[in-house]
Amino acid sequence: MPDPSFLLIQSLSGLTYAMFLFLIASGLSLIFGILRVLNFAHGSFYMLGAYLTYQFVSYFVNNPTGFWIAVLFSSIAIALLGGLIERLFLSRLYIREELNQLLFTYALVLILGDLAKIVWGTGQLSIPRPQILKGAVKIMDQYFPEYNIFIICLGFGIAFFFWIILNRTRWGRIIRAAALDREMLNALGVNVTKLFTVVFIIGSWLAGLGGALVAPIAAIVPGMDVEIIINVFIVVVIGGLGSFWGTLLGALVLGQVISFGILILPRLAIVFIYILMTIVLITRPWGLLGKPLSR
Amino acid sequence: MKRFSIGGLILCFLGLLLLFSPAGAAEKPILVGFPMFLTGGGALFGQPAKVGAEMYVEEVNKKGGVLGRPIKLLVRDCKGTPDEATRVARELIAKENVQFLVGGLTAAQGLALSEVAKTEKIIYIAPISKTTAMTEPGKLHPYVFRAAANTNTEGRSAAVFMAKHPWKKVYTIGPDYEYGQMVTKAFVEWIKKIKPDVEIVGQGWPKLGEADYTPFITAALAKKPDAAFFSLWGGDFVNFSKQAKPYGFYEKVKVVSAGEAGSPETAIALKDDLPLGITTNAYDLFYYPDTPEHKAYVEKLKAYTKQEYPPSWAITGYIAMQFLVEAIKKANSTDTMKVIKALEGLTIDTPIGKQTMRAKDHQANRGQFWGTTAKVPEYPFPILRPVEYIPADNLMD
Amino acid sequence: MGPFGKTIIPLTMLKREKFIIILTALLALLPLSQSRFYIFLGTDILIMGLFAMSLNLLLGYTGLVSFGHAAYFGIGAYTCALLMKKAGIIFPLAFIGAMVAGVLGALIIGFFCVRLTKIYFAMLTLAFSQIVWAIVFKWNSLTGGDTGLIGIDFPAYLDSSVRFYYFTLVVVAVSLGLLQRIVNSPFGRILTTIRENPERTEFIGVNVKLYQLIAFMISGLFAAISGALFGIFNHSLFPDLLYWPQSAEVLIMSLLGGIYSFFGPLVGATIILYMRMLVTSYTQYWPFIMGTILAFLLFFFPGGIVGFLREKKVFKWPK
Repeated sequence: MPDPSFLLIQSLSGLTYAMFLFLIASGLSLIFGILRVLNFAHGSFYMLGAYLTYQFVSYFVNNPTGFWIAVLFSSIAIALLGGLIERLFLSRLYIREELNQLLFTYALVLILGDLAKIVWGTGQLSIPRPQILKGAVKIMDQYFPEYNIFIICLGFGIAFFFWIILNRTRWGRIIRAAALDREMLNALGVNVTKLFTVVFIIGSWLAGLGGALVAPIAAIVPGMDVEIIINVFIVVVIGGLGSFWGTLLGALVLGQVISFGILILPRLAIVFIYILMTIVLITRPWGLLGKPLSR
Repeated sequence: MKRFSIGGLILCFLGLLLLFSPAGAAEKPILVGFPMFLTGGGALFGQPAKVGAEMYVEEVNKKGGVLGRPIKLLVRDCKGTPDEATRVARELIAKENVQFLVGGLTAAQGLALSEVAKTEKIIYIAPISKTTAMTEPGKLHPYVFRAAANTNTEGRSAAVFMAKHPWKKVYTIGPDYEYGQMVTKAFVEWIKKIKPDVEIVGQGWPKLGEADYTPFITAALAKKPDAAFFSLWGGDFVNFSKQAKPYGFYEKVKVVSAGEAGSPETAIALKDDLPLGITTNAYDLFYYPDTPEHKAYVEKLKAYTKQEYPPSWAITGYIAMQFLVEAIKKANSTDTMKVIKALEGLTIDTPIGKQTMRAKDHQANRGQFWGTTAKVPEYPFPILRPVEYIPADNLMD
Repeated sequence: MGPFGKTIIPLTMLKREKFIIILTALLALLPLSQSRFYIFLGTDILIMGLFAMSLNLLLGYTGLVSFGHAAYFGIGAYTCALLMKKAGIIFPLAFIGAMVAGVLGALIIGFFCVRLTKIYFAMLTLAFSQIVWAIVFKWNSLTGGDTGLIGIDFPAYLDSSVRFYYFTLVVVAVSLGLLQRIVNSPFGRILTTIRENPERTEFIGVNVKLYQLIAFMISGLFAAISGALFGIFNHSLFPDLLYWPQSAEVLIMSLLGGIYSFFGPLVGATIILYMRMLVTSYTQYWPFIMGTILAFLLFFFPGGIVGFLREKKVFKWPK
């Protein structure tokens, strides 16, 4: 029987990664639910969020709150970028078949990926953890970084926050309605075009936030966009495209599978997650908590 | 109305275009293809390697070139995959008509480029790739040469150091690809041979370029090892160390690391996050040894890179090109078979001493500098002190 | 009369076959240029062109967006190479083995995929292709994993670039001829009907899923052929060719050429490969260029290059 403190720590690691996945996946899921666009470039937003945070941190080097300011600025910048892209480009493709929108987001992946290389070079970048969260907490007889605890709490906090918005506010109701039937919503006088832009902005903001928060603990490097997006796809497939709680569930599941998978089946963990995705798609294509698409 | 297949028309047109394109012409400079891992986690080591090669080529050309001809280095980014290295190399050979290939960084790239060299019958000198698989019987062929150290030398040197201490429980962490697997295997086999009471309590295999090491860190700590053998390198080592810091990893576990974590490049990248008291290696150090040739080389490198603390990986590109150029001079020709003969058994004077390319397996007797990381007043980052050069001759098969 | 039954051969087919013959004849002259490089490029274009055409049977003709086509390419490539290297089987048999593996793979994967539609179909093709990638990537002892399968030699009587080029040319030409026949047969027409409106086609009594599955298998067959050729051409195989950006790239090739035209994907493949070769000698930012081309295409030239030229041409043509 493995050491219980080790099991706890390992599952906390999985939980941390799950929170990042959740942040990005919820944005993706939201955009898909309302706009029916599967945004490949979501990973690129994540990556740019990390790069921008690096950039802003380098401007505020001697400021102890520099990191937090950087997170704020970069996530907002990504949100605005998302809004611009949606308004100026993506919206023109709505009348076309879905394949076009999908491929456009892939084109964005290629373009944004190289743009990041042009601006920040091709090496690895990193930033230190923020001052107030530099240490580690002792859990049983092992240590776990404070910053990771913060991420876990923040993740749940944001989940809760969004749940409130979706279920207790007018905007939330409109968003949920749009996911079910946009033509009706349009007929009821809601400005669906504006709604789409707002949703895209929120989704991009979440991805950018994820990237900004991951900057102190992971390598900021070209390729992080492609790497994360495939795991995000797995999350939304397992949880259910367009389902909020499904995304959280999917993220939690994937986080733990990866965290323990590397111990139980070290070389095979990777195969296992794709098989999981496949099984869900075959038996319940709309995910564990999703609903079958009405269209 | 006529009916045409537009697509068919276009294709015929393109076919004609291909047909009448000019073939490549032979040129006066000696063309050397240089595919290298210049982006991402490998850039830390790949970029300086390229710089070292370029600096040497400039030196040679200033003195009139080789056999009266200048050398032209055609550098291409082959990223981190053997796939890209193959593609880039074939293009360099078929399109740019390079006569020699020098480059590749990862072990997998070394193997892939070796294959290209074999089918295209072109000399390939590997400045960095360490896997013994490249030069073992069965894979070895006339066209491949290695100027780098190999995984046996490295893994065994680490085992020798590890054996000097009373540690019993050892964990290994290495990137899950050719290099990590081979060097860890060499380490494990050698330590079991020279100190049988050592127990390998577990092995971690993150992938090359892993973004999140936390599950590997916690899994390793759970086994409570006395010591660990690492083969993480470049950006991976930097990442791992940053992520491991809050866990107090390096205080709890004594680390002996292959993968050149002792390189000044790594120390500068990590600064205060560089773990102290670990035993590791480097290909070159700007502060050691104190020989006149080495000092001259370091001064040249400082001026060329405009860096006060010049990178250690430059020497890999430098020495590989030295072997090539010296061999061409000795053969008095660029004919492939003649240069091969010249390379076999060739001894050259490098900034770190004499190096010989063994005829029996086309490997140089390349050793490395091993030492312990320590903070010193002279430099703003930790260096290796004490440090020594471990020759390879007794550790190679 | 079955789906491949013979009826009056439409005029298009004759015209297209003429083009295939003319093109083949032209390309047969390529080695005369004595350029190692152009033979190399030509072989590459032929192989990727066939790969793109195989995808288009699904994409342009049946309306199924497959995001995991690299799987069959990879299955064909690795099967042929492994049979030759590890089992010592001679090339003709290994080649057939690759074809069989491709069809089987497509059968198994397709069986599950055709039960879904649109985005879920695409995601499932992606998921399966990633599984194949992951297996190849991790099964080190069989496939060499990340390090790759290297040392795949030319088969006995095809042991030079020129000879292999001719072999590829013949194989691709024959494949195109076959594809051409399929597309113009009653079976092919039903596929286009399915593309236009699957529900209505179901109503008139066609087993839509069966037709889609068969199209999937044929598509897998030709993708596997191109994969087998690729393995020998490159003398080495790496799991990267199964990773999803490969599937995306071949989609882009088809789109660039024009998915509603027969030769479109081949045109697209030629242009992409040629451009990549040009661009990469000057800059490393080829993905940026490719992304911009793709975006441009989507906004301004949805019919691809062939589609665009069709609209501008004076001549009329059938689909």
